[in-house]
Parts: sequence; structure tokens; C-alpha cells
Amino acid sequence: MALEVETLEAGYGPVPVLRGVSIHVADNEAVAIVGANGAGKTTLVRAICGLSQATAGHIRFHGQTITGDAGHRRGEAGIAVVLETRGLFGELTVADNLRLAEHTGRGVKRPQGFRPFTLGDVFELFPIVKEKLATRVELLSGGQQQMVAVARALLLQPRLLVLDELTTGLAPKVVQEILSVLTALRSRGMSLLIVEQSIKLAAAMTDRAYVMSLGRVVHEVGHGEWESTMSNDAISKAYLHG
Amino acid sequence: MNSTLIIQSLMAGLTNSFVYALIGIGIAVIYRGTRIINAMQGDFAVIGGMLTVFGLVSAGLPYVWACALGIAAGAASGLLIDVVCVRPMIRRQADDEAFLLLTIGLAFTISAAVLYIGGREAHLLPGIGGNGTVEIAGAFMSVHAIFLIAISLLVVCGLWLFYRKTIAGLSMIAASVDPDGATSIGINVARMRGYTFVLGGAIGALAGILVTPLISVSYQMGLGLTLKGFAAAILGGLTNPLGAVLGGLVIGLSESLAVVGLSSGYKDVVALTIMLLMMVLMPNGLLGKAGRRGG
Ligand SMILES: Nc1ncnc2c1ncn2[C@@H]1O[C@H](COP(=O)(O)OP(=O)(O)OP(=O)(O)O)[C@@H](O)[C@H]1O
Ligand SMILES: [Mg+2]
Repeated sequence: MALEVETLEAGYGPVPVLRGVSIHVADNEAVAIVGANGAGKTTLVRAICGLSQATAGHIRFHGQTITGDAGHRRGEAGIAVVLETRGLFGELTVADNLRLAEHTGRGVKRPQGFRPFTLGDVFELFPIVKEKLATRVELLSGGQQQMVAVARALLLQPRLLVLDELTTGLAPKVVQEILSVLTALRSRGMSLLIVEQSIKLAAAMTDRAYVMSLGRVVHEVGHGEWESTMSNDAISKAYLHG
Repeated sequence: MNSTLIIQSLMAGLTNSFVYALIGIGIAVIYRGTRIINAMQGDFAVIGGMLTVFGLVSAGLPYVWACALGIAAGAASGLLIDVVCVRPMIRRQADDEAFLLLTIGLAFTISAAVLYIGGREAHLLPGIGGNGTVEIAGAFMSVHAIFLIAISLLVVCGLWLFYRKTIAGLSMIAASVDPDGATSIGINVARMRGYTFVLGGAIGALAGILVTPLISVSYQMGLGLTLKGFAAAILGGLTNPLGAVLGGLVIGLSESLAVVGLSSGYKDVVALTIMLLMMVLMPNGLLGKAGRRGG
């Protein structure tokens, strides 16, 4: 099992946002987290990546408990994230943004047979990133920044890639490009955990899903259940929008 | 008033410019790496100057080792402030103003501590390269002042390379630009902040060592240095070491002209008036918004 989250509680300050969330992601599986605004999706992502401390519950990654590990150690363990805010360094060039991640990625140990991402691989996935290497990130369009963010995450050599609302606000063409990249990543054995606003996109990108509301998982979409879920008005109306 | 007098005054102004610049560079380094406005940068200079005097005079160390002791003391003070004060405050989610108040408080604390430990006397150091002077266009400049300017320029170039080319420098910028993003790619943000304080403290101490042969070092000189350094750093856009040098030049040279044209009593008025005017008219500094990113 790549990721196991058990009865996790986390939040900002004294009031917990997550009230006992349990999810898991199997090796090479793609799982979506969906739910209305404020459901706690980003809070869950931040707890998994160590940016918010969990106040209760457990997080295990490939069998290892990482609940209390510092945020900057999670990359080493094999978790990479593209944050909702992207987390890029706007005043640095694309090349420097990548270089910092590459530096960390070079220091990590991976299981035998793991084929690391090279800069060449990343340029192949996102040709625009190569073109813009010398440009400061703040001067790129939203879609281009998103590609840099994914490219940077890949250079951490992750076994699990977590994406928080990657496609929100992007042009359909860019979304298609990113979708095809995600497919390519899965063929390399990577696990994906994807927070997504659009149910349609979530269904296209993933095998399963958790529906969150008010800090809890309120519904699970199992293997092969995407079709029926999308046509089920009760669920859509209750927890989703669109 | 003759031209030699003006040249003489400008040369003194040039030397002062680089003193202000060095303090301003330290302020810029700390602001860039932590977003904290450091109102005790001048006290790093006091610590550096005092410990170098101690090393040279009391401990009998060779000049170079005494300077190394002074710089190490500045760096260690920086680290101490981060570990003892800033880190716990960040853990408790202190607001930005709290850090400014902290550094103001530290300025008074350090000044009092230096008075208590080192006494009230001012101390001089011998100049680098002796106490000689050279003649330039009929006016005189001390050899030490030339070293001061050269070393300041080396510091600026060194920082430029450090922040642009090295993983440590890039990581220090990254940690302050987007702490979450930095953490997510494996950068230890707290450690980078510590490095920034070490660097700022070392640069402050270096400034103190360089200024001591010119005006001597005493427990209460920190605040004055901080104010001029601020003026330089703010003119330079607060994040850019190169900008701080430009800012230092504007302040130092206009001060020296004020001394010639008006009277020496107006020196500080001119410097602080320029700073105020600049803050109103060009809030992003001489180099503009883009310049804040450079250096
Ligand atoms: N920095 C913060 N400080 C305090 N409360 C926060 C903070 N960020 C989010 N919250 C609160 O936590 C709850 C969950 O927010 P979260 O961002 O996890 O939701 P989300 O599901 O990601 O929503 P969205 O779809 O808008 O991204 C919300 O009620 C929000 O107001
Ligand atoms: Mg969110």
C-alpha cells in the first residue's frame, strides 16, 4: 500500500478541520478527492505532505509511519506535491526552481528498479518548460506555471504524486496536455492522489474517489463506480457541485 | 570654499557611503531571507568591533585572528537570536510587527550588555594596511578607507554569486519567498532562516570591524549605524545588496555635500530627509520593483 491515512485529525489552531479522515492509495493507483469548497481537501493534502501537523491519527507511507515527520522530510520519503498555491518561487527562474528540487531528488534512495526522472524526461513531458528555463516563474502564464510545478515535483523522484486542484482555471487544451502526462506517469508505476473540482476530470484521471464534506469522508466511489456515481443525482447534489 | 575641500569632503562621504552600505547590506540580507526588518543590525557591528578589539588588545591575537573572532561573534549572535527568539515566536505564529519590536528590543538589550561587559569607553583598531594615507587629486584618503571600499565591493559580488549560483543561496531565497513550496521540495525552512541570521550577523560584524579604525567602537553607536544603514537599504529597495550600495552612495555623498554647503550639523538631517522623501516618492527603492529581485 502506497499511502494509508487513518482517522486523521488536523486543522489550523485549536479547531480541527479534519475530523477522522481515513483513505488509502494502493501502489500505482490513482485516487481522487472531491467535495465542495471548504470540505477540507487542501487541509488533508497539507497534512499528508507535512505542512500541517496532524493532531490525531496516523499516516503511513509504504508501511512506514510518517505522521510526525517534518515537512521537508516527506520528499525524501517519496511524496511530492503540487500545492493549491503551486508553491513556486516567482522571483527565481524556471531553471533555479527545478535545480532546487533536483538537488533534493538526487539525495533520495529509491527501491531497485526505480527509474529516476531526468531533466530530459521532464522536458519531453513538458517541452514548454525547456523553452522557458531562463524566465522568471512569475512571468509565466498560469498553465505554464502549473507545468513547472509538476516538473519540479517529478524531479523529487516521488513514488506518490499529490495534486491539489491542478486543472482549476486552466484552458481545456492545457488540461488535456496535463492529463496525458498523468497517464504517462502512471505507466511508470507512480501512485497519484488528486484533488479535483471537476467530477468529469476526476473520473477521467482516477480509478476511485473519496467524497469529502465538512472534514469527513462521506462517500466512496469504488473501482468501476464512476459512471453510476456521476449519474446519481442524490450524491452529486448533496456533496458536489457540477 | 575651494575644490580641494569639496573633493576632500566627497572622499570622506564615499567612505561613509560604504559604511552605510555594509550595514544596509546586512539589513537587506536578513529582510530577504526572513522578511524581518532588523532594527539591530548596527549592534552586530558593535559586537564585531568590540570582540575584535578584545581579541587584539586583551587576548593578544594577531590582527587577522582578532577579526575572525569578531566576525564569528557576529555570526553566533545572529544564530542565537534566531534560535532563542525568532524560532519560538514563529512557532507561536507571531505577527510581522512582533519581530520588528523584537529587534528594537534587542538593540537596546545588546547595547546595555556591551556597556555592562565592555564599559563605556570607545575603542579604536589600527587600520587595515596601517594608518597611512594616499593623495588623490590633492585630497587625502586613508589606506584603510580604500580597503573598506574594496572589501565592501567584494562582499556585494560574493553575495550576488551566492544568491544566484549556489544551492544554499537559492534555498535561502526560496524559503522566504514561499515557505510551503520550499518545504515541499525538501528545504528545511527553519534552518535556512538560521543561515540568514548567521550571514547577516557576520556581515554586520564585518562592518563594525571596518568602521572601528575610522570612528572607534562604543556601546551606543549601534542605533546611529542602523538608521543610516536603513536609509541605504530602503533606497536600495530593502532586498537587494547592490541596491544598498547605491543607497549608501546617495546618502553618504549628499551628506558630505551638505557638510560643505551648509554645516556639519545638517548631516543627519539630510540623510534622513532623503530617506523619507524616497519612501514617499519611490517606495520600491532606486531600482524599482524589478531591482528588489536582483542582487
Ligand atoms: N489557513 C487557514 N486558517 C484557518 N482556517 C483555514 C485555513 N485554511 C483553510 N481553513 C478552513 O479550513 C476549512 C477547510 O479548508 P480547505 O482549504 O481544506 O478546503 P478545500 O476542500 O480545499 O476547499 P477548496 O475547494 O475551496 O479548495 C475551511 O472551513 C477553511 O475556512
Ligand atoms: Mg482546497
